[in-house]
Amino acid sequence: METYLNIIIFFVLLALGYFVGQSREKGHYRSIIKREAQLRSIPVIASKILPDEFLPCQTELVSGSVVISVDYFKKFVAGLRSIVGGRIASYESLIDRARREAILRMKQEAKKLNADYIFNIKMETSSISKGREDSIGSVEILAYGTAVVIEKTNTPANELPGEDTTELNFRPA
Amino acid sequence: MEYSNPKIPEGINTTDEHPLKEFFILSVGVLGLIFIAVFILSLTAEKLAVYVPFETEQGLIPEMWTQIEPEIESLTSKQTREFMQSLSGRLAVHMQLPEGMEITVHYIEDDIVNAFATIGGHIFIHQGLLDELHSENALSMVIAHEMAHIYHRHPIIAMGRGVVVGLILSAVTGASGDQFVGQVVNETGMIVLLNFNRDQERDADITALNAVNGLYHHVAGTNDLFKALMQAHDPDEVEPPTFLSTHPLTQERIDDLKKYAQKKGWDTNTDLTPIPKFLR
Repeated sequence: METYLNIIIFFVLLALGYFVGQSREKGHYRSIIKREAQLRSIPVIASKILPDEFLPCQTELVSGSVVISVDYFKKFVAGLRSIVGGRIASYESLIDRARREAILRMKQEAKKLNADYIFNIKMETSSISKGREDSIGSVEILAYGTAVVIEKTNTPANELPGEDTTELNFRPA
Repeated sequence: MEYSNPKIPEGINTTDEHPLKEFFILSVGVLGLIFIAVFILSLTAEKLAVYVPFETEQGLIPEMWTQIEPEIESLTSKQTREFMQSLSGRLAVHMQLPEGMEITVHYIEDDIVNAFATIGGHIFIHQGLLDELHSENALSMVIAHEMAHIYHRHPIIAMGRGVVVGLILSAVTGASGDQFVGQVVNETGMIVLLNFNRDQERDADITALNAVNGLYHHVAGTNDLFKALMQAHDPDEVEPPTFLSTHPLTQERIDDLKKYAQKKGWDTNTDLTPIPKFLR
């Protein structure tokens, strides 16, 4: 009797994990794509080298971090995968979302500072669970970089007034 | 220097494949294989379990579990237990138990109407069942029946089946496949109410009847218990496991025993040996 109960609970958890998990993931992706479009104006660059043309400027450390948990369905599929090996597609989407979300949050901080770029971005995993056997199973990503606020006093004279200097492909003089 | 983060198409770091597709392929493939393997094992478990030596069976039970009797046993308790133990000894002679197969009879003083055999040759009889018996012959039939299960190695076979079923379940619920066999065995438990299937019950019945006839030279009174329990049993009542639920009883079984006795030409209508007073 108890074993039948266990089986029922298992399927309920699986269904819950699948339906709620998938719907949340789709919702999250929609939000990510929307905000990426909004924040496209602040490019993030992995290079450490700040071009001379950007000076003088103000710099500030910005960071974005996110913790996303797996759901029961993803964990189950990954468990089966761990027997036969191969690409765990269910976790890949998790990492993708987390990475992009972390970068977006970093960009949001930069936007508050009116930054133009974020240079030298780095990404890290900060592990809360440290890979324990019965851990929740979550992905924790930290993205950080140097937000660059270019001082507008050095805008060239030949720039038209009213021109939006935060456009894509901004070319400093 | 131009810097930009243009829109990158989706699907590079992720897959467009529907997650349920991977789920079904893996489930059917991996779990399906586990199921097939376990199913084949369960078929062979019955054949293989008999090769577990009886000494190993005995060794499976921790020392303390065989001492189920309270340390201070009342006099009637002791008398009852020793009487049943000696009865089992007398029956053993007529059952031709193999060398080394010890039968230990335990007496449990409560109202539960049940008796059962488990691994290591241990038989447990509850006072509740003794209350339903009205002759020594009926009691012998019960003891002989449980001894017959042990003679046929039914407990270890049922345990083998139980372990295999436990493996199936843990494979489903713990999909990562890290379960160790030891854990499974511990979970299913050593001294459990082992349910024997109908063929096993039938074999036990026949063997028991032979032993009882050998001892008393008649089989009168052997069906009395079954008849009494069948009349008394109320299917709507929720009770702790009774003799009937662990030994599914049908009129068919009673008839089979009658036919067998007739075929053998055994006496079914003699005076019964009365049961000692301290058993009631």
